[in-house]
Amino acid sequence: MTTWRLSSNTLWGADLTNLKKTANGIYALTLHSLRGLLFSRKAVITVLVLLFVTAVMAYAGGQDVDALAEGANMMDVLILFFFMPVMAMIFGSSLIRDEIDNKSITHVATAPLDRSFAYIGYYLPLSLAVSGSMVIITTAGFLSFFLQHDVSGDALEMYFEFIALVVLGSIVYSSLFLAASVLFTKPVFFGLFYAFIWEGFIGSIPGAIQKASIKHYLRSMGSEWVDHGSISTFDASSFGGSVAVIVGLTLSCLVLGAYLLREKELS
Amino acid sequence: MTESAGGADCVIVGEALGKWYGEVIGLNNFNLEIKHGVTGVVGPNGSGKSTFFKLVLGLIKPNTGTISVLGQIPWRNSKLHSEIGFCPDYESLPADSTGRQFLSLIGHLHAMEGAALSKRIEETAKLVEMTHALDRRTGGYSKGMKQRMKIAGALIHDPQLVILDEPLSGTDPIVRKDLIDLTKRLNKEQGHDVIVSSHVLFEIERMTHNVALIYKGRTVASGDISEIRALIDKHPHNIVIEGDGISSLAKALLDKDYIVSVAFNVDRSGITVQVLQPDDFFNELPALVGQTNCSVISMYSLDDNLEAIFKYLVGR
Repeated sequence: MTTWRLSSNTLWGADLTNLKKTANGIYALTLHSLRGLLFSRKAVITVLVLLFVTAVMAYAGGQDVDALAEGANMMDVLILFFFMPVMAMIFGSSLIRDEIDNKSITHVATAPLDRSFAYIGYYLPLSLAVSGSMVIITTAGFLSFFLQHDVSGDALEMYFEFIALVVLGSIVYSSLFLAASVLFTKPVFFGLFYAFIWEGFIGSIPGAIQKASIKHYLRSMGSEWVDHGSISTFDASSFGGSVAVIVGLTLSCLVLGAYLLREKELS
Repeated sequence: MTESAGGADCVIVGEALGKWYGEVIGLNNFNLEIKHGVTGVVGPNGSGKSTFFKLVLGLIKPNTGTISVLGQIPWRNSKLHSEIGFCPDYESLPADSTGRQFLSLIGHLHAMEGAALSKRIEETAKLVEMTHALDRRTGGYSKGMKQRMKIAGALIHDPQLVILDEPLSGTDPIVRKDLIDLTKRLNKEQGHDVIVSSHVLFEIERMTHNVALIYKGRTVASGDISEIRALIDKHPHNIVIEGDGISSLAKALLDKDYIVSVAFNVDRSGITVQVLQPDDFFNELPALVGQTNCSVISMYSLDDNLEAIFKYLVGR
């Protein structure tokens, strides 16, 4: 029998053979999952959301308004506030759960790749797919609004600030919903509750309670960057504290999800 | 700590294994040693075959007892998967991928890459006779093609141990024969240790003489199939004979030592014979039919289903 082994070597004591094997496995799984996400029915949802956001922002842009303030409010409420968690929920809450339920995860679970590393191979494509979708939706919304006014200067700067926020949002929401898809047998119920009730309702109640939502910290970071619209005058937490919460939550969800997948019995 | 003290000549050693799901018992005080070569694991649906395989693969952990696979404990031991190829009994191919993409994914997950992986994909596809369908989407494959592609997925990294869970299930007779031949070749020509499961004893007999019989979460018997057949032969078999002039055959049979009883069916078109030594019965039957001038239209055993055989073995 042929033995498939990479050449064994070490770097500062680290076993590069194992590192390379693991990286190879994560890369293969990332490509496979990304293809599954981008060419599934979920892509149709992205197109529908894109059309909706484009239509709404084109209509809003056609009104006689302060373009920068109104444009910022539209991108804040429509994209960051509403569609950001919803899109992450749609993509994330079924990715691993579908494979566990239809048992196609067997091929991953019987590969010589620790399941906690395999989890990264699901997280990377998820956050890429959500970020990509949200960047496209944000761009379409921005253009449909500001092409009726002025795309350059302050508007363009604001566009990149919101792009940074949706990418950050994609990273943190993806980690949350992916962990939920391992933790719950029906993660979509958790996703619906979280996206619509928790983020949508709790996140918009005045006072300290809204600090229990991810949205609060994203908007807090946004209030440092964006100089127009209601987000610029938002009663924000400190920038550093918000970054710490976003990074901490992302890492916590990743560690929790990876641990749960590693310990999970796949029967 | 993944090392275990399994016997060197054993591929798998399971000792006092217990696995239950809530109130449902998967395996109960399960003991089995599987040696190198081809081993058949036979049991009716729900007997615990798949639970056993999941324990072997480390997909689940035992509630009680120990299991050692190739000298290692499988739970949380992903490195062991380099040495095991698994073909599940359920649909597991990604429908939106081609056969080549599927094999490429499995290969990459096993740290294979580049020209070596491409070559291996071609070799494996040729082995399972799927070269012609490598670039078709697996969603359009027939049942037999899916089975072959799943087997290719189990072989792509050239593992020492190949586990085929019900590979013949749902396939037509021609595919069945091909897969039986392939299973034998995997051991004889490719050098793999193969564990193959089925709920049909005679299918396993065509692949190997080394079998383990599992029933209700326990190993009922294991070893050479001739020894198991001898165990089975100690119990009376029920055989139905239908045809014309059967009553004279019934009288002749009653004089034979190996006959326990003869009973006429309700419409008297046939008889149900309880036989102690089926080999003697089948050897003498043609002569008896000739002597009694009856004509036999059909004959079948009521005990061909595995459930009946297992009931004999556990004394029920």
